[in-house]
Amino acid sequence: MSIAPGVTIEVVQRELAVAADFAAAAGLLVDVGQVSSQKPSFTVTFQNGKGDCFHVEFDCQDYPLYPPTIEFVSGDRSERGTARLYPSGLHPMPCVCMRYNRKAYQERGGPHGDWRLVDWRLPTAQGVAIDTLAMMFSDLESKIRQSTGRMA
Amino acid sequence: MKQHEVTDAANDQQHDKGGPPHITLNVQTPRGLWSLKEPPDAKLRPRYPISTKVAQVIADARSVFGFVEEDSKYTLLCGKEVLEPQRTLASYHLQDGVLLVLSVQGGNA
Repeated sequence: MSIAPGVTIEVVQRELAVAADFAAAAGLLVDVGQVSSQKPSFTVTFQNGKGDCFHVEFDCQDYPLYPPTIEFVSGDRSERGTARLYPSGLHPMPCVCMRYNRKAYQERGGPHGDWRLVDWRLPTAQGVAIDTLAMMFSDLESKIRQSTGRMA
Repeated sequence: MKQHEVTDAANDQQHDKGGPPHITLNVQTPRGLWSLKEPPDAKLRPRYPISTKVAQVIADARSVFGFVEEDSKYTLLCGKEVLEPQRTLASYHLQDGVLLVLSVQGGNA
């Protein structure tokens, strides 16, 4: 099952408008230069408490039917998914092990065989449902801010 | 009228009689901005005596935007600085109209 690219880009742009306010207030840098209906992806740069930068790519193919694929990339985008690009404290796969990340699902190579992609908006444990791009920014900002360094 | 609104009204009167000064905050959350005007239907507004604890601001922001889940982490930030819940607004020497951020972290898998 997939979703029309035109629908995805409309939803992504609408949610980004809201998420941009949160990102600006939280000091996150959002690079939407790559966003198009054919490639609905963008990157966000976060910092931990020490000022180390972490670049995160959100690939929103088939969003919002499915969650984005979230991956840590290098500043020049030439390297992706390696442990040294991840902050400490995240799943050692390495992976953002949350329902809002497509990479966390077993059918996409992730650790969770007990989750279904279509249920990605469900809360984890008794926490807040991370069901919008702004909520994803907030959840990642909190986790990265608390990290003390890189995974490797 | 909710308890906090009653309290705030009382504090305004107290301020007029020489009580603690007040501060107006703007709080950006992942569900929108909380200010004197936004969201339009908010039952609470972010204007506080400076003796108010940060924890009260967090609780009120959560209430306005329906962050009812307890198994999440809520943090109020001023720039990169984490505001400790048990400290007062006065202890941070915040400027009137300052923009704060309510960071919300979901539960862990």
